[in-house]
Amino acid sequence: MNIIVCYKLVPDPEDVVAKPDGSISLDQAEWIISDYDLMAIEAAVQLVEANGGKVMALSVGPSQLANSKAKKDVLSRGPDELYLVVDDGLRDADTSLTARTLAAAVAKLGEFDLILTGEGSADLYFQQVGMQLGELLGLPTFNAISKVEWSGGKLAVERSLEDEVEALEVPAPAVLAVTTDINQPRLPSMKEILKAGKKPVVEWTLGDLAVQDGLAQRVEVLSVRSPKQVNRKQIRIEGKPEEAAQALIGHLSKEGVL
Amino acid sequence: MDFRLTEEQELLMSSLKELLEREAPESYIAELDEKHEFPWKPWKALADNGFLGLGIDEKYGGTPADVLTQCLVADVLGKYAFPVGVIYGLGVITIRDIEQFASDEQKARVLGGIIKGEPPVALGISEPQAGSDAAGLKTSAVLEGDEEWVINGQKIYCTLSNVAKYILLMTRDSKAENPYKGMSMFLLPTDTKGVRINPLPKVGWWSVPTCEVFLDDVRLPKSALVGTVNNGWMQLMANFEIERLILSASCVGAAEAAYEDAATYANQRVQFGQPIGNFQMIQEKLVDMAIKIENMRNYYYKIAWMMDNKMPVRHEHAMAKLYITQASFEVIDDAMQILGGMGYMMAHRIQRLWRDVRVMRIGGGTDQIMYNIAGPQLLKKFKK
Repeated sequence: MNIIVCYKLVPDPEDVVAKPDGSISLDQAEWIISDYDLMAIEAAVQLVEANGGKVMALSVGPSQLANSKAKKDVLSRGPDELYLVVDDGLRDADTSLTARTLAAAVAKLGEFDLILTGEGSADLYFQQVGMQLGELLGLPTFNAISKVEWSGGKLAVERSLEDEVEALEVPAPAVLAVTTDINQPRLPSMKEILKAGKKPVVEWTLGDLAVQDGLAQRVEVLSVRSPKQVNRKQIRIEGKPEEAAQALIGHLSKEGVL
Repeated sequence: MDFRLTEEQELLMSSLKELLEREAPESYIAELDEKHEFPWKPWKALADNGFLGLGIDEKYGGTPADVLTQCLVADVLGKYAFPVGVIYGLGVITIRDIEQFASDEQKARVLGGIIKGEPPVALGISEPQAGSDAAGLKTSAVLEGDEEWVINGQKIYCTLSNVAKYILLMTRDSKAENPYKGMSMFLLPTDTKGVRINPLPKVGWWSVPTCEVFLDDVRLPKSALVGTVNNGWMQLMANFEIERLILSASCVGAAEAAYEDAATYANQRVQFGQPIGNFQMIQEKLVDMAIKIENMRNYYYKIAWMMDNKMPVRHEHAMAKLYITQASFEVIDDAMQILGGMGYMMAHRIQRLWRDVRVMRIGGGTDQIMYNIAGPQLLKKFKK
């Protein structure tokens, strides 16, 4: 079976700097694969190991995507081929533009049986791209998938909902967004890292694709701000529980929390 | 001069850090230490993810890797799971000796097992009366009827021998006039009849067992010889340099762990109304520690680079081992000082690093032996 697995590069959360004015600096951030997508990649690799075929990794985004280490990183985790749409017009792309670009790239990839995505991205976590992509492609689309098996050209999946697990049979091709507990992603070995540099990589720009509605965005981001840092008040409440509770309520009311 | 690591090295180190976060968190390493247990689980995880095959020929299932990459692995292991770093470093010399001198059958059997997660082959050199002066070896090997070697003697400080499947054993032919031309190397299965192994209690390295080994009429087939009869000393010396360097690299990681603990503590610990990090005496310590870490890492980078470029490192590696093992202990000792009482408590990892790193100035050749190697070499350069 041929699987397309979508992933996103996000700034390493450890490198994100909140400036005193509340703005966020990503200047020093290394760009890494979004945690949630690692499970999608692992699920794709496991399905192909069990059933044969190939895994095509696909991502769209600005110039960071073309970073040689970032390419080796994703390929060292098991995909056979890598397809990228690298264009600075995709910097700060909203979920709609991301999904439309992915759909246009998928159209160039030929036959496939399944598209996998993570449940959301580690930076924005809108959880929409997979669903929009499925809609744009007109394919059966499900989120919250915690198990996928392939048999007789169909997908047997489990969908973890709040109080129950749905067992579904889904016709292929389909788009599935997987949960974080679907697997534990493998760690790249030196062998896989060395092999990664030799795997095929195809890079496109937006000019190579027919993206529906061009670069139109549906969401306008006005600003991104970190919560204001406030020094601890270091108030210690002592006394009997009833008195302490009253004192706590008093402090919270004074701060306008209650 | 380019100090950057290759993309492959950076990716490998990220992978290793993630593996250690999963399989060897600090709480687990502390628990193993307390129970004096070998780190089987992290060791198997390293094998499953290909780390134990680094530097071993592909023919046996390994992945070729340069000395620097192996040092980087030891450095990261040293930082997050020092005992595992020690075990990794100890394994390098026996792996190299076996790759270079053992028969194809021995190589396939031993190296194949190590790659799958068997403990390293223990090295049996020291005896009660013979440590750095290996010429004092007494353990004998006598060929009986041209069929079997019969071995008698005693080894001490034979680290890992009670968990290992094999000991790479050094013996001496007492009839040979020159002791250095009378030593032989054997691959001894630890379950052979006549082999008795007792772990020895010690200050640190509680997850890395060190033992005494009694050899009483141990019979080995002729094929158990590694390399050539009476060439054991030369074979042994061939790979001490890389072992010392890799073990040193693990000390750099340990020192960095201690430094980070100390710097974090200095920011948090409030005395006299302010964090102790505000006091210049604490800052001076932290800066000196950071300089030592920088120097130590640069030192092993350079020696590894020299080795990877086939340059001789006879005195250079000894000086690096001497400096790194001393400086890493100094950094950890200073970290303990900054943490004060907290650093001396068993609940904190600083005490474990302090106990574990101290022996690095003894094992693999003492400080004094390193001076002994380097000193004459330095003088030789200026002899007219």
